Amino acid sequence: MAKPRAMPVEDDQSDRWEAQLRKGALEMAALASLYQGRLYGLEIIRFLENQSRLVLAEGTIYPILNRLKTEGLLTSEWVEAEAGHPRKYYSLTAAGRQRLRQMAEAWTSFSNGLSRLLEPVLERQEDLQ
Amino acid sequence: MTPEMQIDSYLTALRLHLGPLTIAEREEIVREIAAHVRDSAEESGASVETILARLGPAKELAAQYRDGLLIRKASRSHSPLVLLRATLRLATKSVFGIFVLFCGIFGYSFGAGFVVIALAKTIVPAHAGAWVQDGRLVSMGAFIYGVSPQAHEVLGMWIIPLGLIAGSLTLLLTTFLIRTSLRVSQRLQSKL
Repeated sequence: MAKPRAMPVEDDQSDRWEAQLRKGALEMAALASLYQGRLYGLEIIRFLENQSRLVLAEGTIYPILNRLKTEGLLTSEWVEAEAGHPRKYYSLTAAGRQRLRQMAEAWTSFSNGLSRLLEPVLERQEDLQ
Repeated sequence: MTPEMQIDSYLTALRLHLGPLTIAEREEIVREIAAHVRDSAEESGASVETILARLGPAKELAAQYRDGLLIRKASRSHSPLVLLRATLRLATKSVFGIFVLFCGIFGYSFGAGFVVIALAKTIVPAHAGAWVQDGRLVSMGAFIYGVSPQAHEVLGMWIIPLGLIAGSLTLLLTTFLIRTSLRVSQRLQSKL
């Protein structure tokens, strides 16, 4: 009975690693989602779901937006929707745009380097079997 | 429980756990989350239960808001309590934080110590001061039983202004160090 339990534990660890990776990228992703114009929270979540496969617990995005705003990278305004209640729209500030640019450059050079490093690992998948 | 009641109890819990924030900040957050729940329900037709589950427990959501805020707020504060509390939080996250916490405790104790000696000198002059024996500083402080008779006191009443100045400088320096460290840690965190 002990044997079947070994696999889920391993899965759990790699899941956790992946979750942390996503979380780290989320701040940049949130900034990037606003590059084309203002969006409200739920639109940002949907945008991230559609554009990247960045599946996230919806709760995590709001505290991040809040923090980015107090850091002066975002501004927000409440806008009354035609049908019903107001929504809180976020947009990039000049500082936010600049930070996003820096992040994008750093990210790209980082991921290019890692991809080169990982190429042999992915080529030899048969090793696993 | 009706969906409205579920939403209400979620928002109440959220408000409760957002305690340390200002009322304005808290209400803004609650308002935004309420709008999120309403929009999600209208857009996807998902049940309130599902939507709330996707948001995560109110307590955890609130904790994510508070986490960043405590350190950010403290980096603008002068209160030793607020600063030490934020440093304690920082210490649970990094070795750098533990180092800052130790420096903070050390700095505050030393600063307060100097001030206490200066004050004690005004109240019980014979029991407070700095004593020298054979050219070495043997003790400095405020003592209940006095110091060995071979040692002789230096500084005398001068220890009052000197203690106050040294104490204030140490306290100021500690405050400055903690605030700078908190700010640096914040910048590091947001860069990651």
